[in-house]
Amino acid sequence: MLSEYLPILLLFVIASAFAVGSLVVSSLVGPRAPNPTKLAAYESGNEPLADVKGTRFSVKFYMVAMLFLIFDIEAVFLYPWAVVLRELGWFGLVNMTVFVLVLGVAFVYEIGRGGLEWD
Amino acid sequence: MAIDWLAIAPEVALTVTALLVLAADLALRGDAKQLVNPLAMIGTVVAIVFAVVLWAEAPRVAFEGQYVVDSFAVAFKLLFLGTLLAILAISARYFAEGRYFQGEYYFLLLTAFIGMLLMPSARDLLVLFIALETVSVPAFVMVGMRKRDLYSSEAALKFFLIGVLSAALMLFGMSMVYGFTGTTRLEGIAQALAGDAGSVPLLLGSVMLVIVGFGFKISAVPFHFWAPDTYAGSPLPVAAMLAVASKAAGFAGLLTIAFVAFEPVADVWAPVLGVLAILTMTLGNLVALQQRDLIRLLAYSSIAQAGYMLIPFGLARPGAEVVNQAAVRAVLFYLIAYAVMNVGAFAVAIGVNRRTGERSIRDYAGLGTRSPLLALAMTVFLLSLGGAPLTVGLWAKFAIIEAVAVEVTVFGLVMASFLVVNSVIAFFYYLRVIREIWFEPAAAEAPRLQPALSLSVVVVVLMVGTILLGVLPGLVADPTVVTTFATGG
Repeated sequence: MLSEYLPILLLFVIASAFAVGSLVVSSLVGPRAPNPTKLAAYESGNEPLADVKGTRFSVKFYMVAMLFLIFDIEAVFLYPWAVVLRELGWFGLVNMTVFVLVLGVAFVYEIGRGGLEWD
Repeated sequence: MAIDWLAIAPEVALTVTALLVLAADLALRGDAKQLVNPLAMIGTVVAIVFAVVLWAEAPRVAFEGQYVVDSFAVAFKLLFLGTLLAILAISARYFAEGRYFQGEYYFLLLTAFIGMLLMPSARDLLVLFIALETVSVPAFVMVGMRKRDLYSSEAALKFFLIGVLSAALMLFGMSMVYGFTGTTRLEGIAQALAGDAGSVPLLLGSVMLVIVGFGFKISAVPFHFWAPDTYAGSPLPVAAMLAVASKAAGFAGLLTIAFVAFEPVADVWAPVLGVLAILTMTLGNLVALQQRDLIRLLAYSSIAQAGYMLIPFGLARPGAEVVNQAAVRAVLFYLIAYAVMNVGAFAVAIGVNRRTGERSIRDYAGLGTRSPLLALAMTVFLLSLGGAPLTVGLWAKFAIIEAVAVEVTVFGLVMASFLVVNSVIAFFYYLRVIREIWFEPAAAEAPRLQPALSLSVVVVVLMVGTILLGVLPGLVADPTVVTTFATGG
């Protein structure tokens, strides 16, 4: 039974060997010519604004990220539902309405508590 | 595709209540915000009514057998909803005076209880996992509710990290169980385990991984480290919720998965859980002896109680229906008794802690003169936790001995003797608190306590319940109910 998984184990071994091997070879063989521009943090071609190390993020970013996740999941959930909507009929419509309503209450709460105000 | 709405009516009632609470918290201003507490209580009462109706209708099978409402499930639902009502009553003043995140607290509390209601009905690994996480995730937030308090943050972080670790282990185990058996249905897993699959060592390992996940929820010994710090750091009503309802939910899930899905391999997990039971009660009691803080003492005592409740799991054997049913019955009865007395003990702790912030055992000195009601109630609850006669605690321990006696084995006798020895140890620290309450003089500046009306009502009801069930245990220990698990055909 377990012997059927041998190819997967081999795949893991080869993949890790390739990943580690290419890093080792390139660090041994590759040329190195650092200059300040190369070592700078990449900020879309602009001059770096601040040191990245030790920078603290405002908790507001996490709020936006979480909101995005929730509505992203809603959208992902809506797609397959929309595809089979005709087969599901009223059952599907009612259930999705309930789902969207529940999310809607949370969304209204979010706005009401000022979760979307940046300052 | 019709949905059996009555089967999920208590859950729906709580869900609607939770959403209304959230909306009400947004709409109401100032002192009117405290109306969310009675609103939540009304919703809970509605859910209780539905659960009582379901009691007569059981067993019902919904969602193609993934969700079963049998008398086992309804008994647990009533236990959870009763606990919720008591916790709502004792949180009212606590949060109104704290002035922080009331609406969110009630919403999260109700959400956690929705997960608990799902737990005993789940007959599918995925439903079980979702139920468990619905209990855990709001609890992580509730523990950290006093966000400017370092202890509260520490409590939340510890709880979160250990919770996530155990959830990951359990999910890993579940995925392997699914891989070996080809189904997530609990009955299907039982069939596969009874067949060829049952002897694969890796499968047995994954069964143990799933049990680990529940071991965290019930704070059995190798997974108990979070419990004392979390109880001590979180707001007291949340600690009561974790110690009673969340633990009962863990046991509900463990009972379902152990006796429905993993029953054919009971000879593998029963000795493990039996040894865990011995370790859990012994370690919990020995460490409780050293505690100076009442909440930490209650935390270790609740670890020890979890150990007692694990004993019947150690008795299980594959195919031995009489033994297994007796084990399930013993755990359920112990949980009901435990809920009554432990919610009561936390209620008194809240009554004393409110305004004064007192929580060490020393602070309870002279409670008998400062508030005779709270003092008397605490005495009854602690004696009951110890298992004194005339309280329900005695019958709870007796129920476990009874389960051991159904079919006497050497291992069963060993566990029972550990139970007896541990009960004696436990009395030592419970009686130490009682001695402080009645025989030590109160500190000169200690004020008289005036507990809130709702808290007093809860304390009196639970105290009467503790004694009434102690005299007439037959009120809830009806042996004809809750013996078998209805299967999702």
